[in-house]
Amino acid sequence: MSDITVDTWLYGELARYGGQADKGSYANLQVRLQAGRTVNDLLAYLNMPTEARGITFINGQLSAMPGLQPDLGHALRDGDRVAFFHLQAMWPFQYRLGAAAIPEMADAMQASQDHGLHHTYKA
Amino acid sequence: MSTSILRINMTDLTYRVEEVPEAYKHLGGRGMTSSIVADEVPPLCHPLGPNNKLVFSPGMLTGTAAPTSARVSAGAKSPLTGGIKESNAGTSWACDLAVMQVKAIVVEGQPKAKGKFWGVNLAWDAAAGKPKVKFFDATEYAGKSLYEVFPKVYERFGNKVTIAGCGVAGEYGYCNAGIAFNDEFRRPSRYSGRGGLGSVMGSKGLKFIVINDDGAPGVQITDKALFNQGCKKMTDALRTHNITKPKGTLNTYGTAALINVLNEAGGLPTRNFSSGRFEGAGSIAGEAVFDGVKQRTGKETYNHACSPGCIIQCSNTWYKPDGTEHTSCLEYESIWAFGADCGIDNLDDVAEMIRLCNAYGLDTMETGTAIAVVMEAGVIKFGDGKGAINLVHEMGKGTPMGRILGGGTALTGKAFGVIHVPTVKGQSMPAYEPRAVKGIGITYATTTMGADHTAGYTIAPEILGVMGKQDPLSPEGKAGLSRAFQATTAFIDSSGHCLFIAFAILDIASGYEGMVEETNGVLGTNWSAADILALGGSILKKERAFNEAAGIGKAADRVPEFMKLEPLPPHNQVFDVPDSALDSVFAEL
Ligand code: SF4
Repeated sequence: MSDITVDTWLYGELARYGGQADKGSYANLQVRLQAGRTVNDLLAYLNMPTEARGITFINGQLSAMPGLQPDLGHALRDGDRVAFFHLQAMWPFQYRLGAAAIPEMADAMQASQDHGLHHTYKA
Repeated sequence: MSTSILRINMTDLTYRVEEVPEAYKHLGGRGMTSSIVADEVPPLCHPLGPNNKLVFSPGMLTGTAAPTSARVSAGAKSPLTGGIKESNAGTSWACDLAVMQVKAIVVEGQPKAKGKFWGVNLAWDAAAGKPKVKFFDATEYAGKSLYEVFPKVYERFGNKVTIAGCGVAGEYGYCNAGIAFNDEFRRPSRYSGRGGLGSVMGSKGLKFIVINDDGAPGVQITDKALFNQGCKKMTDALRTHNITKPKGTLNTYGTAALINVLNEAGGLPTRNFSSGRFEGAGSIAGEAVFDGVKQRTGKETYNHACSPGCIIQCSNTWYKPDGTEHTSCLEYESIWAFGADCGIDNLDDVAEMIRLCNAYGLDTMETGTAIAVVMEAGVIKFGDGKGAINLVHEMGKGTPMGRILGGGTALTGKAFGVIHVPTVKGQSMPAYEPRAVKGIGITYATTTMGADHTAGYTIAPEILGVMGKQDPLSPEGKAGLSRAFQATTAFIDSSGHCLFIAFAILDIASGYEGMVEETNGVLGTNWSAADILALGGSILKKERAFNEAAGIGKAADRVPEFMKLEPLPPHNQVFDVPDSALDSVFAEL
């Protein structure tokens, strides 16, 4: 199977998981993975525990929030842009109501208490 | 007399201290300013003419020990939108007004003489037990940077006073002129920025309102035990929530924490709303500000309070390469307006434009979005930081180009034949793209204020209860949520609390209870959460009625056409919320 490249963005203190790409306040690196690999595999490659990240996007679609991570098994594709935010990041409900989410996240939000109105979620 | 309304007549430089009418007894902040404007200002008057009134009102809790409650509302008919306006700022000036038990200042009339400016010196008359006013000639302070004249006003009246004032933008009558208030370091950096209220002040020949609260009696609290209990719950909520706690999101990164998030979401308006993603976002984001300050000052610096008693402390300061102060404050919307929206990724250039807005008395958002429009017109290129700085100077100097830009984004679009004009009711959109975040688009379209990101905050999960069985993601569901958000926000804007308490009390139910108890404790009311929603709704209705009488009805509750026609990268979506859903926001209020 051929490799894929994932355009990976790490914000705030997560920049340190970017190795040489660490610019202090963010890091942007191109990660090569085998085809079919998932968000979990990307985290393993970065050596970043999944608890260290909060808000996460895959191609601009919300895929995780603090305490709500339905994206671990999400298969990545060549050219995907994945962004991991530190736990201090915020995205208040009124500024994300109607924004794009991966299907796993949309379902998890719908099933969560108060339709995802909150800032953080119980794991 | 206990609480009062202070009327300042600029036609003949007189004043009157009146008792607060029964109907206004429990009002404060936005509820008060919007009620007075709706009751007293002819909706069809010229915003810069003698019949408009400029109203200031501290919130219900302002001046008390309630945490993060030092806010003041300024209201009038807006020169920018032609509708009603409330614009809110955090400043010790708000507390000084509140402790004099002045529930509102109403500035009326207009002097006959042109080119002269006056100041008002408000103090407490202990013998008479009421506030007193002296007028002073302030013409010598006109035509100058507020950074130059604020120190002179402090020199004249003493460092203890607090100041509200307009800059040259307000003297010129620009639609994007704000009202500047002092921060805790006596900088002219806290703004009622939106809607051109600085020009309403300037049109009345009023340059400053200087307050000295010596001897003032303080805010009366009806039920101290209940009030204290409410304060404790609010304080605990703010101190424990991740966004509002010490060294939490806002204290560390400020509101600019949102830049990278909205950028990744594809919702950060870029180059005059032509894309939802800016490749330079990482260099201007809150994380970059925090890191840059650390590099330049050699230490980690957490943000400060804009006003007394704020325990969230989200206000930041930017430093020059040599470690000396450049300016405060680099808010999300200000950084975005001069950064992503103008294609500028240099924080020093962005900071310089923010500093100039403070100096000239300009709204950063309306200024940045107007510059982005002339960038699209080819006057200067997107990304040209130095060129953009020059354009802000042109506004300050009052050149013909500066005056066009000062007229606001919509006027600038007309002057240059640009159809991508991101405004609703003439007011430019803040930093959330409605094509990517449809919910905020509904609020932008329908709020009485013109496009406004602070008009619809989520403050309590009970709000979902008002929706019944509607799917919150359906257009009708989103419209229902926007209605409830707008009503509860109108209440917070009246309470004197900073809107940012909403982040904490949404997740921590006792914090919300605390807000209700604080308010009931001060006013002696027995309001429930439902009463709060109803009170907020009643404020919206007054504002809406004023707008309709001013000719701003539901046809104005729309986003600009290009957002319905042109898909926005990277999601390639248009704004497709049906008009019927937009109309339902107020139809069902
Ligand atoms: S949270 Fe920020 S804007 Fe609000 S009162 Fe505190 S310092 Fe001012």
